[in-house]
Amino acid sequence: MSYSQKFKDHLAHPRNAGELPDANAVGDQRNPACGDRLRLSLIVKNDYIEGARYLAYGCPPTLVCGSVLTELITGKTISEARQMTKTDVIDAIGGLPSRKHHAAALAIETLKTALDNEAKF
Amino acid sequence: MTTNRRIYLDHSATTPVDPRVAAAMARTLTENYGNPSSVHGFGQQARSAVDRARREVAALIGAKPNEIVFTSGGTEANNLAIRGLCEAAAAQGRHIVTSAIEHPSVRGVCDALEKRGWEVTRLPVYDNGIIRLEDLNAAIRADTVLVTLMWANNEIGTIQPIHEVGTLIRERRAAQGGQSQRHLWFHTDAVQAAGRLWLNVDEAGCDLLSMSAHKLYAPKGIGALYVRRGVRLAVQNVGGHQERERRAGTENVPAIVAFGEAAKLEREEMRERVAHDSALRDRFESRVQELISDVVMNGDREHRLSHLSNISFRFIEGEGLLINLDLEGVAVSTGSACSSGTLEPSPVIRALGVSEEVARGSIRFSFGKDNTEADVDYVVDVLSRAVERLRALSPLSIASH
Repeated sequence: MSYSQKFKDHLAHPRNAGELPDANAVGDQRNPACGDRLRLSLIVKNDYIEGARYLAYGCPPTLVCGSVLTELITGKTISEARQMTKTDVIDAIGGLPSRKHHAAALAIETLKTALDNEAKF
Repeated sequence: MTTNRRIYLDHSATTPVDPRVAAAMARTLTENYGNPSSVHGFGQQARSAVDRARREVAALIGAKPNEIVFTSGGTEANNLAIRGLCEAAAAQGRHIVTSAIEHPSVRGVCDALEKRGWEVTRLPVYDNGIIRLEDLNAAIRADTVLVTLMWANNEIGTIQPIHEVGTLIRERRAAQGGQSQRHLWFHTDAVQAAGRLWLNVDEAGCDLLSMSAHKLYAPKGIGALYVRRGVRLAVQNVGGHQERERRAGTENVPAIVAFGEAAKLEREEMRERVAHDSALRDRFESRVQELISDVVMNGDREHRLSHLSNISFRFIEGEGLLINLDLEGVAVSTGSACSSGTLEPSPVIRALGVSEEVARGSIRFSFGKDNTEADVDYVVDVLSRAVERLRALSPLSIASH
């Protein structure tokens, strides 16, 4: 399978890896079919996502979608972030084979979970 | 980051063509282009080149030249062996014994026959990746016509007790009275073993043995099936008299010549190649264990091919590691694949009874004659950094520390 240069760059140089100790919104999701996992921790202030970090386990698209997602959402408002779809993530990577689209879906689901959790803070 | 350095550690997938083999092939392409079936001089010259190659390939496994059938590769050899034998022996029984860790080409034929009414028993391997003779003995029934077991595994390199299997099968055949199983045959897929172990079909007691040339520094698209004299196969390719009526079609003369040359070189140089590969492999494994924590070495430590190392790196997944290594010019392979959101970890690694996570983190490193100690040191360096980078991302790694 061939991946885009951007994809490979994110894989070799993950952005925003890790966890934010003072996060106020955390989401953890697992793809039940393949066992891939994504964990997102966010700092949300005044309706803006000020910081985002991720942890991921699984196939390369899962790792890359996590990395790209943190770049995409940082600086967005909550409602902007909530409107994002897996297509936004796929486009930002420079495309993904259709059988790997579930990785982008996992990223969006994790984001939604984190934002839902923020609402409970 | 990209690099100009390229290190090939995937010799179990395929090998580079040896320049001496390529030269023999090139000469044949341009100078010896006759059809071996033609009666004229051009044809006879090609025929004698094919015969010479057949003698070399036979010598590699202690067979007679007329017991060698050239095929398009290992997969066709496995198809011809299993399908051909089972179809020819269908009147005697429709039961096959195989193992849980066969190459997909063997697994695939067995699955296809199962759909057509044959019964298949798949012997388990244990945590060392090796079958047990008592399981085989118990699995053989009155209607078993074929035992097909790989000589050495392509992912973890474990070597099956082929000589003992051959002896067991001979004993079952020789049993007296109603217990005798005269119609029991033994096939071994030796694609990974040929050229890396000393093989002798008589000592192994096998009736059929598959080989592939491109694992022996020869080109792709050529292989061979050893068929012991007297073993009947239902022909799969009809429409020509080639290969003693066992495989119709004009012989791929240049590739056959290349295979012959590679087999000759392998016989002459095997001892040093094995010593070279195993020294690199051992250096690699000891450095990995020194520098990287939480690794699992897959497969039996002793009964395995000397050029191959299969290692699981805990908390991370194989393909991500593979691509990270590829970006630094290092080629390896992983058995794990994830498609359509359905995980398919290597059935071979899973058969060892390890967890899904360990199976997903497995990487195969396979060394070859052109690798050097400097290659090993570079790979270990790149590998340890890539593992560290991926573990920093892994929720499993964070949770365990």
